Amino acid sequence: MVNESVDRVMIEVIGLTKVFPAPDGGEKRAVDDLSFHVTPGEIYGLLGPNGAGKTTSLRMISGLITPTAGSVILAGHDVARERESAKRCLGYLTASTGLYQRLSPRELLRYFGELMGLDRRLVERRIALLIDWLDIGDFADLRCGGLSTGQKQRTNIARALMGDPPILVMDEPTLGLDVLTNRIVLDFIRAEGARGKAIILSTHYLDEAETLCHRFGLIHQGRLVGEGDLAALRAASGRTRLSEVFLSLCGHEQHVLQAAPELSASWRAAGPTKRSGA
Amino acid sequence: MSRYRRIWVVYRKELVETLRDKRTLAAMILVPIVLYPVLMVIIVEALRAETGRRQAERYSIAVPTEEHRQWLTGVLKRAVADERGSAAAGPEFLSATLRADQVDIDVVDAARSLWDMVADQAVHAAVLCDPPPNPADPVDATNRIVQIIHCETNPRSEFVYGQLGAIMAQESDRIVRERVSRMPGGAANLTPILTNALSTSSPEQQFARILAMVVPFLLVIMTVTGALYPAIDLTAGERERGTLETLAVSPVPTAQIVAGKFGVIVTIAMFSTSLNLGSMTAMFHFSKLAQLAASPRSALESDGRHVEQIILGRGGQQYDSGSPQRENIERRRKLEEEGSKKAGFLTTAAPVVLLAMLPFAVLASGVMLATCCFARTFKEAQNYMMPVMLAFMIPSMIVSYMPTTRLEGLLLVIPVANIVVLIRDLFLGNHNAHAMGICLLSTCFYAAAAMSVAARVYGHEAVLFSDVGSYKTLLRRRFMKPRPAPSPAAALLGVALLFPVYFYWQSYLIDLEAGGARMRLVLAGSQVFVLALPVVLLCWYLKLGMRSTFSLRMPRSSALLAALLLGVSIVPVANLLRQIQYAWIPPVMDGFEAQAEPLLTGPFASVLVVLAVLPAICEELLFRGFLLSGLRQKLSGLSAAVVVGLIFGLFHLRVEQIPVHSLIGMLLALACYKSGSILPAMVVHLLNNALPLVATRVPSMSRVLGLDRFAADPSTPSFSFPTAAYLAVFLIGLVLIARRPRNST
Repeated sequence: MVNESVDRVMIEVIGLTKVFPAPDGGEKRAVDDLSFHVTPGEIYGLLGPNGAGKTTSLRMISGLITPTAGSVILAGHDVARERESAKRCLGYLTASTGLYQRLSPRELLRYFGELMGLDRRLVERRIALLIDWLDIGDFADLRCGGLSTGQKQRTNIARALMGDPPILVMDEPTLGLDVLTNRIVLDFIRAEGARGKAIILSTHYLDEAETLCHRFGLIHQGRLVGEGDLAALRAASGRTRLSEVFLSLCGHEQHVLQAAPELSASWRAAGPTKRSGA
Repeated sequence: MSRYRRIWVVYRKELVETLRDKRTLAAMILVPIVLYPVLMVIIVEALRAETGRRQAERYSIAVPTEEHRQWLTGVLKRAVADERGSAAAGPEFLSATLRADQVDIDVVDAARSLWDMVADQAVHAAVLCDPPPNPADPVDATNRIVQIIHCETNPRSEFVYGQLGAIMAQESDRIVRERVSRMPGGAANLTPILTNALSTSSPEQQFARILAMVVPFLLVIMTVTGALYPAIDLTAGERERGTLETLAVSPVPTAQIVAGKFGVIVTIAMFSTSLNLGSMTAMFHFSKLAQLAASPRSALESDGRHVEQIILGRGGQQYDSGSPQRENIERRRKLEEEGSKKAGFLTTAAPVVLLAMLPFAVLASGVMLATCCFARTFKEAQNYMMPVMLAFMIPSMIVSYMPTTRLEGLLLVIPVANIVVLIRDLFLGNHNAHAMGICLLSTCFYAAAAMSVAARVYGHEAVLFSDVGSYKTLLRRRFMKPRPAPSPAAALLGVALLFPVYFYWQSYLIDLEAGGARMRLVLAGSQVFVLALPVVLLCWYLKLGMRSTFSLRMPRSSALLAALLLGVSIVPVANLLRQIQYAWIPPVMDGFEAQAEPLLTGPFASVLVVLAVLPAICEELLFRGFLLSGLRQKLSGLSAAVVVGLIFGLFHLRVEQIPVHSLIGMLLALACYKSGSILPAMVVHLLNNALPLVATRVPSMSRVLGLDRFAADPSTPSFSFPTAAYLAVFLIGLVLIARRPRNST
């Protein structure tokens, strides 16, 4: 008996846990029993404050680091056991991803295409398509070292799409980008979602996530504290804006409000501000 | 896509990227091509400038009296005249002589002492002759002592002193000649013996001898330097630029990425080595230094020619020179004529030298790649490289200062040092296949271990991401997860580290001239403390499952039966293989067996325990236990067995034993992984060692095993009826053991 909805799951994360050895000899639970799934065409927003475990989760999903417990299944391939097949279904993009300085975008795309084991003619066809679509033509044969940030990120997008993977994992892909490049990346994510790809997007920019993602998972201290579409999250938290929902579900709302008067009181108690050399 | 194609894709891309880097190109091409000639020119010019300055300099010498002054002036003039008379050996810029017109000779008034004048540096030197000289007749009958006072810390004073010393010796020589010529018999009495030295080395070999002193060391340095930059750039550099993550997420196994990168490093290192070798050879060839060093008769040029003239009958009549001497001179001249027609040294020896450098380049690249994999930034990698560079340079420096070191014993397996000595021997034309084989094979083995460590470290998450703990998690016991078996890297590295220790222990044993009991004790020590104990401890440290690592299980009974069959037949079968091998390549007979003879004397029980039981346990634990289970993590059973066999063969010290011992090692590995238990391998090993030992005590056993026939004629394959029977038993055993593999995990 085959359940159709299970069959259509592209990314399945089950009980994912990562424990790091801490420098003091103890342990740090970076990700704790994380489970969720993403279907084709769905953009899943993985949200959480700094140090919540988003990046570690995405690295485990991409097979870059080994989970302490739990498993990840990408398009039917278990990442732990069928590492290469799973990685072949995956496009990975971050804002900090570097390019090979001494290769041109065209050579870079060719390299990754060949690494994926694609046929040489297919590689050239895809490069031509990507160059056209992402408007890379002007700088396709210059060395990557000399490109602007926007050009680099466009090349990076092309690189992630070279294998035409059904799954895209993006770890803060818009971090530190200017408005124009930001727009390119967001358009690209939306378009890929519309093409039926399963996308995991981790971001700090909640407005961005609000317009882009279909479903959200909120991580706090390595644990999933809330999951669902915007309506479900609103219902669960009683807030309307995603940022408010976010703060409420992370339990930070009260702390900040309570802390502010205390802080200002202790600030005053410390005495008047002195300026040196005045 | 095949793995080779992917390795090739990585290799090609990394090579293109590396070659596009101007820094690499400069270090690789510009340095060797430009550096040596420029260095040469600078050295020659500096020497020339120094000489010129010395020639132009004025020197002052203090003497006590006017007679002294006249006498010393005369001595200096005669020295200069002599100098012109004989053609100076070597280019003029290398020799500087004190000329009479450069020297001011001051007569000191009685109030000041000569000592004070030199000590105050008022003059460069002082000369005091006693009894006082006689300028009118320098060749009188008086013998004198000439005191030269100089100041050692003043370089000019030192120069004057050195020159004066030589000039005084010449003057003394002149006086002797003069005195003897006044005696009856004349000057002919002076030289009762003349020597005529002839070297059988061709001018080319003499040139190679000069190269052999410096080139091996320089080559090692240049190979390491060549590998340095790409090793850092392709690992730490890649991580620093943020491209490592992208590469790690692409569907290529880490080992293949590392293999591609490794290929680039070796390529660059070898390219750099070839260029350096070519440039160095060319520089030596075309510079004046090479001619000077390799000239047939360098220092005694004029004397040598003179003596040869005499020998060839065109000189004086007082030497009775026979035809054998004339013949030798003619042979020497012929050698020189042939040498001038031959192509340069570069075309003959350089390819062989380069071939010998290849395993070293592989080792250097492997070690550097493995080390750089730990580094997160370029700078960190550079810091790590310092000790690595030193580790390569110091051994090569030490052995290049020891020109009489021979490639034997422990030196055969000391990484880096063995290659330096090997290259030197190649330059000198002393080929020894046995030593070269061990040397190159052990280097390859170390290189393989370094590479597997690189592959292991490269993909590790602690190294991939700086925020995921430190690489201490790779090394500290409390961070280790219990595993059923060691990683291939840990297995290979462990065995590679044990290898030189074991080798040293074994050569010590052979050199040990002691009784059988003492030798056996040392041998038992090497088995237990070098082979077995370290891996057991390592197993504990790495939290490995002892049972699974060492395959400590009971085998099925058919496997034990197979082991017995293999065990009783393995000695004759191995000897048959040896005969086939020796028929092709005759073994080197160097009394190795005789040296091991005392091991066999003494109580039989102790001989049996040390030479059969202990090896069967200890060697099996290391090779078929630790190493095999480690390699099985990445390799198929058959390939793992082949690698285990080759390494096992290498541990047997002697090149001609490697093929057969490797095959035995493979058989034992096969027995172990097919049966899922180490016991059958131990049984075969035990019988293989024990039966020949029994034969030394029981003569009929020797006949049954055919050992007497083998000893009588080890290099003719004898395929008799008993051999056929043994072969049949062996094959039955082989089929029986290979029949059904048991899953060993």
